[in-house]
Amino acid sequence: MEAKIKQIIADVMEVPVESVQDSSSPDTIPSWDSLKHMNLILALEQQLEITFSEEQIAEMMSVELIVLTVKELL
Amino acid sequence: MSSSSLSFSAISRHVQAHEKEMPTQLRLAILRNIMLEPLATYLRYEALSLDCQAQVTLGDYDTVLQEAVAGAPTVYDQQTHAILIVLYLEGLSWDLARNFASLSEQAVENEINRLLDLCHTIVQGIRSKTAAMILWHGFLPSPYPALGIFDSQSHAGQSRMLHRLNTAICDVVRAVPNSFFVDMGHCLARVGSRHFFDHRFWHMNRAPFTLEAYAEMAREVSKFVRASLGKNKKCLVLDCDNTLWGGIIGEDGMAGIKLGTTSPGSAYREFQQQILELYSRGVILALCSKNNEDDVWDVLQNHPGSLLKRQHFAAWRINWQDKVANIRELAVELNIGLDSMVFVDDSAFEVEMVRRELPVVTVLQQAKEQLFQARFNLLACGLFDTLTLSQEDRTRGSMYTAEAERKRLMQATTDLHSYFKSLAMQVEIAFTDQSTMARVAQLTQKTNQFNLTTRRYSEADISQFVAGSAADVLHVRLLDRFGDSGIIGVCILRYQQQEAYLDTFLLSCRALGRGVEEVLLRHALHLAKRQGVRRVVGEYYATAKNSQVQTFYGKQGFTLDLAPDSPATHRYFFPLEEQTIPADPDTFTAIISPLRG
Repeated sequence: MEAKIKQIIADVMEVPVESVQDSSSPDTIPSWDSLKHMNLILALEQQLEITFSEEQIAEMMSVELIVLTVKELL
Repeated sequence: MSSSSLSFSAISRHVQAHEKEMPTQLRLAILRNIMLEPLATYLRYEALSLDCQAQVTLGDYDTVLQEAVAGAPTVYDQQTHAILIVLYLEGLSWDLARNFASLSEQAVENEINRLLDLCHTIVQGIRSKTAAMILWHGFLPSPYPALGIFDSQSHAGQSRMLHRLNTAICDVVRAVPNSFFVDMGHCLARVGSRHFFDHRFWHMNRAPFTLEAYAEMAREVSKFVRASLGKNKKCLVLDCDNTLWGGIIGEDGMAGIKLGTTSPGSAYREFQQQILELYSRGVILALCSKNNEDDVWDVLQNHPGSLLKRQHFAAWRINWQDKVANIRELAVELNIGLDSMVFVDDSAFEVEMVRRELPVVTVLQQAKEQLFQARFNLLACGLFDTLTLSQEDRTRGSMYTAEAERKRLMQATTDLHSYFKSLAMQVEIAFTDQSTMARVAQLTQKTNQFNLTTRRYSEADISQFVAGSAADVLHVRLLDRFGDSGIIGVCILRYQQQEAYLDTFLLSCRALGRGVEEVLLRHALHLAKRQGVRRVVGEYYATAKNSQVQTFYGKQGFTLDLAPDSPATHRYFFPLEEQTIPADPDTFTAIISPLRG
């Protein structure tokens, strides 16, 4: 699951998948702005067939937190 | 692959991996009053199927008017191919969108008029800065209109208001050259409102749409871009057994094949009806099947369920040869490129073979388990869509039938000269005007083979040539005893000091080899002489498709310029003061021209 999430993040941020670490966040990936964050949420929801709440969307601001949130929903 | 079957992240990965390989750059701009960033990724994806790498730039949030009126060089400029304008009604008129029930009729009228003025200002503003195609996205119809079930009963309902507003905006947009109305209502209807809107991100980011919505919008836009690039398909090549009817005629016989008004034969009949719809829009039909030829004609002419008849087909290869060779031959016979053909077959073997050997041919597989989808797939593909529908398009089918009759006559006649004589050909040369501009622009966009410079022009460009004094636009029409071929050739002369430059010289493939090009060129020379210039200059620019005209100017008495500006250019001139313009060929029964002698 972690690998799948990292691949989706790499695809949406248009960066190599190797550069996506657990600690990666909008602070370390320059293309990860608020719009790309929305694209990422939409892509995760589409591919994993889940829906995030508004609160979760606002909190999922690192790879680690995204993985945690997805695991909660699955 | 269709974007509906791929996830956003897969599409994004696919685009990043492949767009660098694409030969052509395509610049697109989006002006908007909402957030719709994922649309850019879907547009880049759709561009791949047009062999293009799209660079999509977005205007700032809700600054459309400023960007249109004052310009926005970082968003769009003269190199931009198309500008998408996506305005969400909520952002433009909260009253019409959300506060509708409380409005007076007068207030509604005032708002509509304000929006029409705004639309006019935006479209005119953009047009004054660039000739790029403008794609105005219409306002979305409301799935739950303001007045509930009463809404549609009333003239004063929101549904009718939105329809009226869109119609009026479409008129404003269409009055500006190279500008088109994208019907967002179609996109919404295809996807369905439950899957089109994301209410969370509307509130959080002013981003009202889902990924599915963006995918559908991008598909719709790509149809406009395809047509504007002249990459729309022109010919539908059809298999017979299990494609035009169910079963195998050679085995099942007339009584056994499925074709009629009851299922499953009705699926084939409706598929045939959809093919006829395309035929009436100017798509050329051809058959490529492994059958006994007589069996096929027997079904088409005598089976009560068959809507398609022999006369609808411009060419056919009904034999036991391989289909790759047959499709190649059809392209030569019809004088069209393989890349403008779509091939439909049910056999995985044939489909794979054509895909592998002729990758430029678009192949639609008629999978048996998807039988009931066949009509819909053809309807939805948009591959044949055009930006205009001229009289020539509507009657193209019968023109090809006439062409086939000409060929039969040619085979029965011993020499070419007496054959031409027997055709009783008439040509009419005329200056292009308002009524003929659309067809002339269409010819510049679609003609690939007999085209010396392959310059693509919009109706707006042609209109500028016609209105100005620096250029003349001539076109030629051809008629013979088998019918009217319509406008089939164009010549654009541009005047520069003592020279007339042949900016464009082209002939539709359906009129090749009959001497029409000689007549048109000679009358263009007469025109240049009348305009008082010393010489006429013509150039040949090589493309992948126009090698047949490489020596055209040389054969017409032009002299090769041995010291051209660039060694890649083939530049020729015709000195009007020293050289006599040759007489018209004697194979025409009549030549009508304002430029005689």
